[in-house]
Amino acid sequence: MSTLIAIRLRNAVVLLVLATMLCFALVVSAPGNVAVLIAELRTPKATFEQIRVVEEELGLNQPLILRYGSWLNGALHGNLGVSYKTGDAIGPALASRLPITLTLVVGGAAFAMLLSFALGFLGALWPGRFGDALSRVIALLGASMPSFFVGALLIYALAVELGLFPTFGTAGLSSWVLPWMTIGLLPAAVLSRVVRVGLEEAMARPFALTASAKGLSRRAILFRHALPNIAPTYINALGAQGGAMVVGAVVVEPLFALKGVADLFLQGVLFRDFMVVQACLLVFLTSFILLNLMVDIGMMFTDPKLRRQGANA
Amino acid sequence: MRRLRDLFQALAQLPRLAFLAVGLFVLLGVLAPWLAPYDPNAQDLLAAHADPSWQHWLGTDHLGRDTLSRLIVSARTSLVGMSLVLLIALSVGITIGTVAGYRRGWVEEVLMRIVDVGLAMPSLIVALAVIGIFGTGYWNMILALALAWWPGSARISRAVAVGVMNRPHIESLRVLGASPGRIYFHHLLPSTIGAVLVYATADAGAVALSIATLSFLGLGIQPPTPEWGQMLVDALPYLESAPWQVILPGLVLTLVVIGFNLLGESIALNRVPTPLPRRILLKRRAVAAGWKKAAP
Amino acid sequence: MTSTNILQVSHLCVDLYTTRAALRPVDDVSYEVAAGETLAIVGESGSGKTVLNFAPLGLMPTGVVTDLSGSILFDGQQLVGLSEPALRRIRGGKIGTIFQDPMSALNPALRIGRQIAEVAELHLGMTSSQAEARALDLLKLVRMSDPEARLRQYPHELSGGLRQRAMIAIAIAAEPKLLIADEPTTALDVTVQAQIIGLLKDLQRRLNTAIVLITHDMGVVASIAARVAVMYAGRLAEYGSVEEVLLTPRHPYTSGLIAALPSVDDAPGSPFRGLPGTPPVLGAPLPGCAFAPRCPQVIDICARRYPPLAGGAGTAAVACHVVNARQSKEQAHA
Repeated sequence: MSTLIAIRLRNAVVLLVLATMLCFALVVSAPGNVAVLIAELRTPKATFEQIRVVEEELGLNQPLILRYGSWLNGALHGNLGVSYKTGDAIGPALASRLPITLTLVVGGAAFAMLLSFALGFLGALWPGRFGDALSRVIALLGASMPSFFVGALLIYALAVELGLFPTFGTAGLSSWVLPWMTIGLLPAAVLSRVVRVGLEEAMARPFALTASAKGLSRRAILFRHALPNIAPTYINALGAQGGAMVVGAVVVEPLFALKGVADLFLQGVLFRDFMVVQACLLVFLTSFILLNLMVDIGMMFTDPKLRRQGANA
Repeated sequence: MRRLRDLFQALAQLPRLAFLAVGLFVLLGVLAPWLAPYDPNAQDLLAAHADPSWQHWLGTDHLGRDTLSRLIVSARTSLVGMSLVLLIALSVGITIGTVAGYRRGWVEEVLMRIVDVGLAMPSLIVALAVIGIFGTGYWNMILALALAWWPGSARISRAVAVGVMNRPHIESLRVLGASPGRIYFHHLLPSTIGAVLVYATADAGAVALSIATLSFLGLGIQPPTPEWGQMLVDALPYLESAPWQVILPGLVLTLVVIGFNLLGESIALNRVPTPLPRRILLKRRAVAAGWKKAAP
Repeated sequence: MTSTNILQVSHLCVDLYTTRAALRPVDDVSYEVAAGETLAIVGESGSGKTVLNFAPLGLMPTGVVTDLSGSILFDGQQLVGLSEPALRRIRGGKIGTIFQDPMSALNPALRIGRQIAEVAELHLGMTSSQAEARALDLLKLVRMSDPEARLRQYPHELSGGLRQRAMIAIAIAAEPKLLIADEPTTALDVTVQAQIIGLLKDLQRRLNTAIVLITHDMGVVASIAARVAVMYAGRLAEYGSVEEVLLTPRHPYTSGLIAALPSVDDAPGSPFRGLPGTPPVLGAPLPGCAFAPRCPQVIDICARRYPPLAGGAGTAAVACHVVNARQSKEQAHA
């Protein structure tokens, strides 16, 4: 197994290097001269001399490979440059915003997992009945409604009309309920189909007949025999949804006035604040690669075949 | 002719609601300029925030623009954008996929590694970053979304192409001495395009959602072109006083995406056995009731 | 005689419904199995032998509904019309089941030990640790090498023969009175087949279990069964002791089957003997004898009326107009 983990680790490192190159290349390939842009940001109608100063300052006149090296070195030490727009250092801003995005995404993922199992089992336990139809409809709606619409509906129904939850802020659990539901509905819908279809496929396989021949009830077969078989697929899908939730955060954070990393990223994108975009993208890609690594290892632990393969390798 | 018949057979099996929603969407998109009762951008500040009436069936927005007309013209915006994204993504994806499936060997290895990296990255975030660097604008949005979608279509194309190449009639063509170009352009490409287009319908809903999401964020369709996501974000400040102006565009978009998703679901081959419906069981029992039973 | 029969099936009909069709895979089938005895049910695929055994136990795949009529007395209990919860208590408890392909019949995500222990927990009311100990004993009983290690292994880590041994351990975990084995050796290598049959015979002697063996392999029948029922298109064609049916087959179908077996007397390169024609596709019950279109001895009445299963003392019971008419004539002469 350790060999298999080592292979995954190596792949993750390769992807990380590619991700840093991508982040770096994006800014280098930006149209227009970055130095001119920044110089004009400081003093409108910057002179040639002023532009040269900026170039010198940012090391823009050095060869690409050196610029990449010094940028990477800085990034590794938490120095991700300065926002062109506000002049603030990006590293500390990211550090202070990261907990908010993490709370949003992790809470949303927990909500999605809960809802997906509830919906999936609702259908699998009583196939063809009302619960099955209900779970299908919720899954279809969840997969088809844009998250900004879900958020708007939730705000209107639960906050404006019923006054149950606050629509913004990060104080206390209640202020997180609506953002979690908004960001979690789409992954919940997708994952509930994974659970439902996975369970049903497992129930159609011969080992389910064996379990039935043992005298187990349908419920017992679902939980004891079918569930362990969908674990690897589910973990894999959960990882993919983790990536989708970052996109969700870009919508949900501004909608609920959450000052997280995704909000910073969106600000950067809207105002073409290259360094902010680059830094946020690096954070997203890194966490995504780490998430996939965790998914790979998780799949190894839940799929006996993968586990033993690694042991023999 | 055979392909046409297959197509009609496939259409007949689609769920009716999906067919209705998608059909209506395409129809609205094509005929929008003739169907919309008003100029979607004609402002009438005196009639702003109007309730539904005979003049404005679905009311007006904060600038007094006719909501129904804007909803209808948005269908066109969405349809055109979606088609462009899919066209570009599928062209790139099918080219790479079929070349990989045709050449195999190291060409396939290299191409599919690139596709794997594309699939491993959260594509929409990369697309957003690209917009952040190159600026907002219609074509930047289309290209950014195509960038997010091509790896998926490349992977499907390769799988389909490998399947086509393994068919016995391709093998016999090769033996008979057909040129590689002929095999590629006359046999492999048409078969692959047909199959991949079917998969593309499943993705069309997600593309429509992404266009709306980018527009909602102010990164996609730019005003004054009407678009559902943008209509929703425009109406959001007035959520408490005019909730319907928020709900309507969201609802229409959702219906369209439901249609595409249902189509995709009926195409996806995750058919699992379901319990025998009561109606069919009764029918079958009625048949068997006529059979003689052995005397006990 | 009935008092010693653990299983008595009389006039069993099974109607089977799917989304596509209604059919009768089992029509008017009667047989009995004595305690500790083995009955082999022989037939081609699609002859209804699997439905015959699994439909009464409620072991049908999703989307298939079956209606039973007739009677199945098992250990003094009527199985026809029994509720699903009551059937569940019998399945895996008093009746154990062995399936054809042990690879797919075992759960790939669970350890062997867990899959065996589960039965002991359910039917013998054992705690988890008691059941684990029982699983170990069972693995020793089915003569598994290194049983302690096997408990912790997953199905894909075992060979085909070992998997089938694990499957047998599951089937006998609750000391059933009846074991239903659906082609237990078909998916295995020839060398392993003999071992598995030997193991089944050994277990039967030790546990006094009756076995219903579903197979199409005459060699297996000869080596383990006391009686044979030959099925054709949902009905019994011939039913009697192994000696009677295999050595002096009377139904034209049975004769054809046995004549088709390759023999050591065959000259090398001699043509393959087979039955001409194909068995009918199951559907509505046929009015006449289902074998009539392939039968070399067919007469007028065969296509119109179904021949009842009949037989005298000392011979197998046969469902054939021709054979039974000949027999009653001979009896009249005597």
